[in-house]
Amino acid sequence: MLSKVKSFGLNGIEGFLTEIETDIVGGVPHFEIVGLGDTAVKESKERVKSAIRNSGFDYPSKHYTINLAPADVKKEGPLYDLGIAVGILAATEQLATKTYKDFVFVGELSLDGSIKKVKGVLPILISARSMGYTKFVLPEENAEEAKFIAGMEIYSFSHLAAVVGFLNGEEETKSLPLEAKTFEEVAKENQNKLDFENVKGQAMAKRALEIAAAGGHNVLMIGPPGSGKSMLAKCFSGILPDLTFEEALEVTKIHSVAGELDLKQGIITNRPFRTPHHTATVVSLTGGGSHSKPGEVSLAHNGVLYLDEFPEYSRNMIETLRQPLEDGSITVARAMQTVTYPSSFTLIASMNPCPCGNYGAKDRECKCSPAQIHKYLSKISGPIMDRIDIHVEVDNIAYSDLHKDSKEESSASIKQRVDKARKVQLERFKNSKTFSNSKMTVPQTKKFCVLSNECQSLMEQAFSNLKLSARAHDRILKVARTIADLEGEEEILPQHLAEAISYRGLDRKYWSI
Amino acid sequence: MLTRKEKILVLLSMFEVSNKKQETILELMEDVSPEKIFENQKVVELLSNEEYHKLVGFDELTLDRCIENMQKSGITILTVLSEDYPKSLVDLPDRPLILYAKGDLSLLGRKSVAVVGTRSPSNYGKIVTEKFVDKLARAGIVIVSGLCYGVDAIAHKKTLDVKGKTIAVVGSGFNNIYPSTNTNLANEIAENGLLLSEYYPSFVAKRYTFPRRNRIVAGLSDGVLITEAGIKSGTVHTKEFALEYGKDMFAVPGNIGSEKSELPNYLIKTAQAECVLDGDDILSYYGIDKVAKKQVVALNFDEKLIVDLLAEGDKNFDDLAEKSKIPVNILNSCLTTLEIRGLIRKLPAQTFALL
Repeated sequence: MLSKVKSFGLNGIEGFLTEIETDIVGGVPHFEIVGLGDTAVKESKERVKSAIRNSGFDYPSKHYTINLAPADVKKEGPLYDLGIAVGILAATEQLATKTYKDFVFVGELSLDGSIKKVKGVLPILISARSMGYTKFVLPEENAEEAKFIAGMEIYSFSHLAAVVGFLNGEEETKSLPLEAKTFEEVAKENQNKLDFENVKGQAMAKRALEIAAAGGHNVLMIGPPGSGKSMLAKCFSGILPDLTFEEALEVTKIHSVAGELDLKQGIITNRPFRTPHHTATVVSLTGGGSHSKPGEVSLAHNGVLYLDEFPEYSRNMIETLRQPLEDGSITVARAMQTVTYPSSFTLIASMNPCPCGNYGAKDRECKCSPAQIHKYLSKISGPIMDRIDIHVEVDNIAYSDLHKDSKEESSASIKQRVDKARKVQLERFKNSKTFSNSKMTVPQTKKFCVLSNECQSLMEQAFSNLKLSARAHDRILKVARTIADLEGEEEILPQHLAEAISYRGLDRKYWSI
Repeated sequence: MLTRKEKILVLLSMFEVSNKKQETILELMEDVSPEKIFENQKVVELLSNEEYHKLVGFDELTLDRCIENMQKSGITILTVLSEDYPKSLVDLPDRPLILYAKGDLSLLGRKSVAVVGTRSPSNYGKIVTEKFVDKLARAGIVIVSGLCYGVDAIAHKKTLDVKGKTIAVVGSGFNNIYPSTNTNLANEIAENGLLLSEYYPSFVAKRYTFPRRNRIVAGLSDGVLITEAGIKSGTVHTKEFALEYGKDMFAVPGNIGSEKSELPNYLIKTAQAECVLDGDDILSYYGIDKVAKKQVVALNFDEKLIVDLLAEGDKNFDDLAEKSKIPVNILNSCLTTLEIRGLIRKLPAQTFALL
């Protein structure tokens, strides 16, 4: 007998329809899965066999051929197990009805017949919906993830026997209800716990991060160890504008594919904050590998990528950031196919001012030789510096400051200003592909960052007196634009420009002598 | 055009023959003609085997071409025999017999002060060096230093900034400036000041060349100013040379207990150096008129407040924000404006200081 069951596979973060064809004939007992499956797919033979037997069904000793169509696309992972099992049951006529033809089956089987969670359910559902497949049978553990997709009829089970019972119409099963809470409500529940309120002092760094959040600028923080750079970075995602539902879906999709999703939470509502360590490999950063998996730059999509000890990262790794910083996506070419993952993030990098970290510190002495400092700083190449708009120095806080009861501004109130500035920008870039000041093209910069005569002369003076390098010019304009937006000013005023200039510390000739 | 004798000196420096041997050979050339100098028994005994074979094997045509190339790239060769050779060096016991120069030779005759110190000055050292150099250079004094990191580099840069004149004596050949980060600075000095070296252009700096270089720094200048230096730093050599040559010594006092002010404090304590608190002290020592004070710049209320706070001492950003109560964004832009106007200087770790 022959049966055809629908299932879905994953390519990058897009799902594709896979038809599982099962043909069973008599003859020498044999089991073969064709259709470019990886080892996990090949091994599903053993899982399916045991699961069918242990769920109380027959597994006749015959010649089985399973084909996963389309046969020329690589298939990865154990998510076809459930479909294969249903296919075998259908082909051996153990299902009473033909209702299985209406559903798409996705799930991994355990030897005892229970159904386990799989990666990538959300992207599969989103792709399936756009292709017109709306009825799904899913593992129970993945139910939370599926709750936010409207227009779907989803049934979730935890055991193969229950699926068969459902298909045979023996049990009354209701499809999953759509999440009752709105996205905003869920988002509120999961709000970022870290707040700028808890960061004492660091007024300049906070201000710089506020500007960065408002204009989507990348930031480099320079300061001695223990000055709170990581803390500041972690708080940063809390002042970014809230994720919209579409953005949240996209983020959740990527995390779902990578298997990094918190299954209890379902949808990701906070902007992601990723901190790959500097010993990470290039592939773990970019994504790809033999099992295509999104890398850290994609997991940070719509959020923050925080690189601590920036110069410690290998040159290779830093240079791979160039494409995502420029295009907002990363293309990973593999032998069989090319995958593009979205990766539009705000980069926050931090570094020590010198190898020992104490250069310029008041209370501790720097033991580095000038040559060492120079070598350390030169690890960050010009092209990368060109993509970081704001440099800000972070200093150690005195012990007495830590215990001061001064009231610090909360993230929520900073966020209000950020939101306002973002709105101005959306209005400004209405008919273009740009969303924020940091992504302005050259003609846009010319158009929107007009300097008055007073500003012009200030800029000239700054360049000659502070010895800024030429690459600083456009960066300063963009940051000044954001500062003006934060203040609600149409025009860039001298004080905005002056403040923007102060965030180009590393461009100064005097940095290391 | 170089004379035959001078060419022999170029040849000797090309093969790094020591200063002492050069002196002896120069003396011998009084009696022996330069063509036959390498046949002279005394010279043969003086030079090591290796040196001797290199020198004898070198033909004159190639030497001429090397000299021509140097001159084409803007290098002037000064030897003790030439007229341009700095007068202040002629009588030194350990004078360099040859000097390669790039830039304005007229600076050699002018009143000059060497500004020297540690390679890694503290914030105090940086500011002090800048202040002194600013006054001296504006008054027309030539600033001499060694083109190293730290105080040297600050002295040169500040002089160029205020359009003053500076002489850099390097401890390497011109084509291998050490530290290489200062190569651009060296080029700037060659254009607007004077670059000097006693080493052939391809010579790579060695450990011993820095103390050697210091004798030229001390020798060229009328006075030596030490702003910040440890008791064991290379600046000690400059000090010794300066005292030996009878130059004026100036030292800027620092905190007792600060490692980096040990040398100037010690010099002041032992009365080996004049204690100077301001560039004007050196100017009046030499009887040079002070330059008119900088114009008073109009400051707004916030800026005035910041300047007053900084007058109490260096402060970091958070301190300023707290004491002045100026909102962060305004404070930030005020500080930048003040710095652009040259009233304050931003130091590492968000620290600001009054200039």
